[in-house]
Amino acid sequence: MAQKEDETEESRIGVFICHCGLNIAGVLDIKELVEFAKTLPDVIYVKDNRYTCADPGQDEIRKAIKEYKLNRVIVAACSPRLHEPTFRRTVSEAGLNPFLFEMANIREFSSWCHPNTPKEATEKAKDLILMAIAKARLLRPLETMEVPVTNKALVIGGGIAGMNAALDLAEMEFKVYLLEKNESIGGHMAQLDKTFPTLDCSLCIEGPKMVDVGRHPNIEIIAYADLLSVSGYIGNFKVKIRKNPRYVIAENCTGCSECKDVCPIEYPNEWDIGLGVRKSISVPFDQAVPLVYTINKDYCIECYKCVDACGARQAINFDQQPEEIELEVGTIIVAIGYDIYLPYDNPLYGYGKYTNVITSLEFERLILAAGPTGGKVVRASDGQKPHSIAFIQCVGSRDINKYPYCSNFCCMYTLKHVIQLKEKYKEDIEVYVFYMDMRSNFKGYEEFYQRARELGVNFVQGRVSRVFEVPETKNLIIHAEDMALGQPIEVEAEMVVLATAAIPKKGTGEMARILNLTCGADGFFMESHPKLKPIDAPTDGIFLAGACQGPKDIPYSVSQGSGTASRAATVLSKPTWKIEPIIAVVDPDKCRNVTTKCGICAQKCPYGAIKAEEGKPAQVITAMCHGCGTCVAECPADAITQMHFTDAQIFTQIRAALKTNPEDKILAFLCNWCSYAGADLAGTSRFEYPPTIRPIRVMCSGRVDRDFVLEAFRLGAGMVMIGACHLPYDCHYINGNWKMKARMDALTPMLHKLGLSPERFRVEYISAAEGVKFAEVVREMTEQMLALGRDKIKAENEKLRPILEKMLKRKKII
Amino acid sequence: MLIKARAAIPYSMSIIDLTTTKKPDLALRLKLLAKIGEHKPYNCFQCIRCTSGCPSMKMLELKPHEIVSLASLGFIEELIASGTVWACATCLKCKERCPQAVAPVDLIFALRNLAVEKEAKVPESFLRSLSAILETGFVQKPQDTVTRKMEKVNREKLDLPKFHEPDEKFKAAFFKVLELFQE
Repeated sequence: MAQKEDETEESRIGVFICHCGLNIAGVLDIKELVEFAKTLPDVIYVKDNRYTCADPGQDEIRKAIKEYKLNRVIVAACSPRLHEPTFRRTVSEAGLNPFLFEMANIREFSSWCHPNTPKEATEKAKDLILMAIAKARLLRPLETMEVPVTNKALVIGGGIAGMNAALDLAEMEFKVYLLEKNESIGGHMAQLDKTFPTLDCSLCIEGPKMVDVGRHPNIEIIAYADLLSVSGYIGNFKVKIRKNPRYVIAENCTGCSECKDVCPIEYPNEWDIGLGVRKSISVPFDQAVPLVYTINKDYCIECYKCVDACGARQAINFDQQPEEIELEVGTIIVAIGYDIYLPYDNPLYGYGKYTNVITSLEFERLILAAGPTGGKVVRASDGQKPHSIAFIQCVGSRDINKYPYCSNFCCMYTLKHVIQLKEKYKEDIEVYVFYMDMRSNFKGYEEFYQRARELGVNFVQGRVSRVFEVPETKNLIIHAEDMALGQPIEVEAEMVVLATAAIPKKGTGEMARILNLTCGADGFFMESHPKLKPIDAPTDGIFLAGACQGPKDIPYSVSQGSGTASRAATVLSKPTWKIEPIIAVVDPDKCRNVTTKCGICAQKCPYGAIKAEEGKPAQVITAMCHGCGTCVAECPADAITQMHFTDAQIFTQIRAALKTNPEDKILAFLCNWCSYAGADLAGTSRFEYPPTIRPIRVMCSGRVDRDFVLEAFRLGAGMVMIGACHLPYDCHYINGNWKMKARMDALTPMLHKLGLSPERFRVEYISAAEGVKFAEVVREMTEQMLALGRDKIKAENEKLRPILEKMLKRKKII
Repeated sequence: MLIKARAAIPYSMSIIDLTTTKKPDLALRLKLLAKIGEHKPYNCFQCIRCTSGCPSMKMLELKPHEIVSLASLGFIEELIASGTVWACATCLKCKERCPQAVAPVDLIFALRNLAVEKEAKVPESFLRSLSAILETGFVQKPQDTVTRKMEKVNREKLDLPKFHEPDEKFKAAFFKVLELFQE
């Protein structure tokens, strides 16, 4: 509990009441408000202006601060979501800390929404001013923090997204480290034959980019290396990387391939999905960047022929050890990409059981001219060209038992494959595509689909039920229902190609742990906001590009790569980064983690910004804290304080709101981003609702402590409401609303048990666009409150009070 | 059985309709496609807009989109045998509305011609309409009717003018149109 905030200095409060033309003065009795404010303790100066936000109004504030030595300023006017920044600037120009300013929202919350009940509206405005003054007394000056920024970036993953991010940043003159797990950069795109919908050769367009990346003076490629750990925060990340031994000294290797020519050992090439082979000392493909050979010790027989072949270059070193390096970077771009699901566990399609059932990525390597078969599509069983091929879509995708999401690009690459086949073999090949929906959004894609149909590909709508093999011919019999015919059909094909789901890259979870990211239900990384921050990770200074955030095709990945580069540059281009002071702070004396194993705050923090090591008090990493206040409400010892929204400040607001006639009032806790904005919208839209509600602004509904609710009922509140962002994904602090829900789901039955009528406490999810809903909820609650009647509410409160007092006393809140 | 037959003709379509156990007839499909100009059935992406606006839909055992699908997969015999093709009212809505320039009605015309060529049974009612056109110029001949007093009346009794038979010019034009369709 942060009530220890002693009032060392005497509060000298100035109250400025705005007419806003007739917007406020037309309904509220400004004179009465002025007289009321003057009677309140600590209020030194009260003034009403026609327009406080206009220059003369602001001048008056600045003058009054100097003249009357005001140390707290209240403006009773519009919503703080509109003019708080304006007035903060005004007071700071007069030498006052901007956080010693508070607004009472008497326009959106009173005059605009209660035009026909001016008397009650004025009473509500008085309460709002009283609440603002009560909070203002406890306000403390806060300083915006600045942290230095290291103007280097780390890009994790050298696929097409990561390469673009690195190139763009390097072009902006920032030093970029490009970390790649494999021997070469290039990613999945380098494995592909052609790209849709233009059918240009994939490596022909990616190759030059890879070379650019390799040559760029500002880019340092760290290939064949793993990310070990990341610590720090925006502008100041410390990254540990382990470089795996290639047994070839990169600086000495010229990529001449003489060692490869003499090497006697071959093993399956992962690059070719095991369809081709590579030498024990080799590069995965000829265009590899960096062009450094690698020895695979699992297969090497140490005949040292390569050492002889290398000769004077002396590039081979069998004693190479893993090397750990440490980097300091300002931002991190994550572009680790995706994996392809191998449906070994799906017995119905026979992958892994029937030799002629392959995945699309394997097919890609077959049809690629530089691939293991030299571009000939052949069957694994007999090496013959198939005369009929069936493509099966959505293998694993769009299946709640496997991967519920759509893998985004399978429709298109299947279209690409069938067009390639039809153009290559013409009438010599019969092609079937079994699909559910053909998803060909984006430019040129639908026309591509049209092209496939014109070439005479048989599209059969319907999910395949089963694939059988004919043992003699190794042909495959496919059972399906043609939705268009409404009849079951059977197709005999000589080869089956499965368009399998794109799944999160192996190690995504581990990467999430290292970088403090969150993964969605589908296992891909979660972005900070699905619409407005689609490439920002929830952790500041970390950005997401490409398919690691969800399956994406090449143009989308490229734009995301460039997008993240520009987002990263917004940080890197500054010498320092400003951090909002509305953050959580742990009181080490109160923290239980010192004596017991607690760590609840660290668990509940949506941003992983709290460290709770055993035996030490929990610690908030300031630069990572977003100031939602969830940890503050969760802390069982009340050891955490949220700056500017301290427990003491909110309790005093509750007490001020419920000072008179609490039974007739609805106390509401509204989250800043959704419900408070929704309430504002109800005002600006002039939706009229009863003037019974007394709103208290919190940054996130996750900040609403159960003690707030208990205190409100102890003081006799008629109704209590919590307004939050909609579940599941609308919360601006990732999942603060879920934390609040869990907390309140536990509290509600207890209150009911103690005799509280169920309608008296409710949680509502109201978005910033739902002004109508807000007005509706207040109307409904007021009706319920009147239906219950003041006597019943009072009686219930009498019954509740001793129990609540006991509970709150135990926590030393009262 | 079927598998063996399949192995004997390596490049034929390998699809089987499991309710009829029929296999597609590729030669017939080619013949059909040759009859219908630009509006090829394989452009169809099965949005089923043709069926949703078809006025004869209730009389069809196969719906327009199914006719297109069967035709593009090569199940032509089934289509000819079904008799469905004769129920089309030839309103041309399907051709007009198709977003992919597929014309089920063109297919139906082509299938009718194929049916005549293969000497399949043409429904009597369809032949009746044809002869009615030749005799009267109308799809249906004027019919006798019964009044409330249970009195049988026809045009003659009601003193309505007699229809004159279509002239030779019309008949010649009509036969020419039929020929054109046959091509």
